[in-house]
Amino acid sequence: MGKDLIIEVRNLTKYFTVTSGLFLQKRIAQVRAVDGVTFAIHKGETLGLVGESGCGKTTVGKCLLQLYQPTGGKVFFQGKDLCRLSEKELRPVRQKLQVIFQDPYGSLNPRFTATDIIGEPLRIQGIARGRAYRDRIVELLNLVGLASYMADRYPHEFSGGQRQRLGIARALASQPSFIVCDEPVSALDVSIQAQIINLLDDVQEQFGIAYLFISHDLSVVRHISDRVAVMYLGRLMEVSDRDELYKRPLHPYTQALLSAVPIPDPVVEAHRATIVLKGEVPSPINPPSGCLFHTRCPKAFEPCSTVTPLLADTGGGHAVACHLYPASQP
Amino acid sequence: MAVVASTSQPHHTLWGDAFIRLRRNRLAIAGGIVILLIGLGAIFVPLISPYGYAKQDLDAILQGPSWGHPLGTDALGRDVLTRLFYGARISLAVGLFAQAIVLAIGLPVGAFSAWVGGRVDNIIMRLVDVMYAFPDILLIILLRAILGGTIYMMFLAIGLVAWVNVARLSRGQILSLKQQDFVTAARAMGASGHYITLRHLLPNSLGPIIVAVTFNVPRAIFAEAALSYIGIGINPPTPSWGNMIRDGYDVIFAAPYLMIFPAIAIGILMLAFTFLGDGLRDALDPRLRR
Amino acid sequence: MAPLLKVDDLATYFYTQGGVVKAVDGISYEVARGETIALMGESGCGKTISALSILRLLPASQVKIVAGQVLFDGVDLLKASKKEMRKVRGGNISMIFQEPMTSLNPVLTIGRQISEVLELHQNMKRRETVQEVIRLLNLVGIPQAERRMRDYPHHFSGGMRQRVMIAIAISCRPKLIIADEPTTAVDVTIQAQLLELLRGITRELNTSLILITHNLGIVARYAQRIYVMYAGRIVEHGPAQDVYRYPGHPYTAGLLASVPRLDEPRKTRLTPVEGQPPDPLYPPPGCPFQPRCTYGVPQCQRSKGDFVEVTSGHYSSCCLAQNGVTPWEKT
Repeated sequence: MGKDLIIEVRNLTKYFTVTSGLFLQKRIAQVRAVDGVTFAIHKGETLGLVGESGCGKTTVGKCLLQLYQPTGGKVFFQGKDLCRLSEKELRPVRQKLQVIFQDPYGSLNPRFTATDIIGEPLRIQGIARGRAYRDRIVELLNLVGLASYMADRYPHEFSGGQRQRLGIARALASQPSFIVCDEPVSALDVSIQAQIINLLDDVQEQFGIAYLFISHDLSVVRHISDRVAVMYLGRLMEVSDRDELYKRPLHPYTQALLSAVPIPDPVVEAHRATIVLKGEVPSPINPPSGCLFHTRCPKAFEPCSTVTPLLADTGGGHAVACHLYPASQP
Repeated sequence: MAVVASTSQPHHTLWGDAFIRLRRNRLAIAGGIVILLIGLGAIFVPLISPYGYAKQDLDAILQGPSWGHPLGTDALGRDVLTRLFYGARISLAVGLFAQAIVLAIGLPVGAFSAWVGGRVDNIIMRLVDVMYAFPDILLIILLRAILGGTIYMMFLAIGLVAWVNVARLSRGQILSLKQQDFVTAARAMGASGHYITLRHLLPNSLGPIIVAVTFNVPRAIFAEAALSYIGIGINPPTPSWGNMIRDGYDVIFAAPYLMIFPAIAIGILMLAFTFLGDGLRDALDPRLRR
Repeated sequence: MAPLLKVDDLATYFYTQGGVVKAVDGISYEVARGETIALMGESGCGKTISALSILRLLPASQVKIVAGQVLFDGVDLLKASKKEMRKVRGGNISMIFQEPMTSLNPVLTIGRQISEVLELHQNMKRRETVQEVIRLLNLVGIPQAERRMRDYPHHFSGGMRQRVMIAIAISCRPKLIIADEPTTAVDVTIQAQLLELLRGITRELNTSLILITHNLGIVARYAQRIYVMYAGRIVEHGPAQDVYRYPGHPYTAGLLASVPRLDEPRKTRLTPVEGQPPDPLYPPPGCPFQPRCTYGVPQCQRSKGDFVEVTSGHYSSCCLAQNGVTPWEKT
């Protein structure tokens, strides 16, 4: 493993089985939430994971942190395969792996004070007590831009943006080296989003933390990521450096996604062509054969419905899984 | 880094906020006061009343309300008002202690079932369904026959039947709370199942459970009255509202008030708890906050 | 030509235990026939409440429309009788809501829900509506309409349910459609489908559209004129192109500057709007944006929010904007 790699995911799969029946628990269907995902993140880097709802991006985040037990594949953190560790062995490692959630209302226990919330990792991991504990709480509060006197307040006394700051402070408490940011600004007002994005940027720069930044908002992802991966129905369609992806999107799905994002400028919009995809996203219980995207792809042709394209490098670290590019032929 | 201003609301804890809202509900306060008065009366009746509950005065039987006996006397010349307050002890004790047993069994069973999930959860819930399907009075009678006649066994009998409601409720609460992000956050920090259940899940599920228990009390009171009425509850001479009604039935034409007064007492106490329960439910509902 | 809808100085207050919340505090806007306008603002600014006030769909116990006029085709809706309002709702003005799952009745088939509107407003019998329902479903792009009209809402995805909502909304050929955050709950590719559909339909039927949203991009793509709302008031309005190019209010300018844009080179740091929206129970004196504004002058605390003209047809309530010269730069 390269000396700079902090996270490496190989062929990660997660299937959810839908069962019925009282005692026999018959399996009726299998949801292929994540179906063979491979990527790597370096120290201090941000990998943006984009896709629409149901594509499996949140599941990837949870599998990385072992909050779900992956069905298959490996997750390496600083060289250790997390999937093989027991919960007990995993515990000390969890200090270094943290998560920030989307919902500023559901991600904080309404009965905990701000101190309880931020300090929870310190208490559970036994990192600090007494005076040191209180000092660290104040330090964290100030770090995320909240006043120290708010330490005894309850979540309902904070606004949405402030609650997200609490969530960020909590994630930073145990000095992690990697944070999964699961749509951290999607539920916030537009005028607050930029504040939180800047905070995440600053924190990353100050502490050298790597992020997996999960989002459906392509503009935000472009701002904060170093590399971007596009996901659809549980598989990766395209992975590349950030600027490269936005300048030269190769996969038809990426192109459609980018075209669907309206730009806040009426003059620009008046001259833009929109690619409107036909049809609905297929169900992950019954995914299409061959290339998962072929049912909606405006450029689908002969092999797309039968042969699954591989995610392959077309040069310069820009990988794509599409039959339009010869590298994807198995 | 720019410091963000806080909200301008006055500072409340969640329980404090609920208490303020409860205070505004007049019916709930009325209910609470009634319960308090009955409770105090029940405790202090030996000091206040000149009569004992068993003191017979055969010269003054079946008298209507008068200055000496504000609610009259019964067939053995015992003062009705005094007996009512002694009976209140039984009703309140049954109401409250039975609920203690309900909580002690129902809460952990429901929580355990929800936390473990899967097949175990399924089985436990089907057992709960079976118990729930039985008419509760019959089950209580059966348990009385098995467990014996003391008042403590009465608490147990009622408690053993009524816990299923709370079990279902606590399971439902825990199940929905399990999905919340703050629980996932705790797991991501390495919290154990015990910690999460004790510090995150149970405190947040208390609201509806408190309300359910408050509503259960009148049911227990009624159950005791019913049992005593048919003769397998509290035995004479200890007065309970149920056996007072029964005794009153024997002389229903001569002194109908002997049945009416205890019946009214049951009604008032049940209503008081119901109003209180309504008020608690509204006060503890997070969505109604402000 | 007189506008189709003219909202004049509308004010809607909430009476809560904590005090009075001036959810909508004196706003005026108008929509011409066939025009699409956007009512843009963030959560809590009052845009949804103003739309519900037009149709008088607010619960009477806690909310009161305290002032203003809503002239629809010359008739003041706020003074109309309940019977007249019922005719207007769905018949002349229809509304599309944000959450398709809660706005569709889960126990009725979608065919039934569409035909319900037809029965109420067009006096059609149930049997007669079948053909029309199929036609509408085809119009909004739901395949296999005859079969699917017997399905229930939970058989459809979010995008399809919104199409059903659109079908219900256009079924009686309303003159005005109010779309309240119609695509916030769906993905960006579905959003594109739905908005294109809505655009096509409103063009074909010459329907006016009020698009309520917080999304700056959607406004830029679909609206001809925009009204920017903040804390229950309109702070700026005008033709979309002008407002975006020469924002006349620091809030609008701040929003535009804080959003990362795909078509511009990447900035190293975003310029956010500092602070937070005001507490609705304790609004600041004068201009509501003033606590967060970097350009504030003492005059702002006494400002009554009168509009000044920035460019032709483009107005701002900021006292610093005058004749297109503003202390903040154009975007």
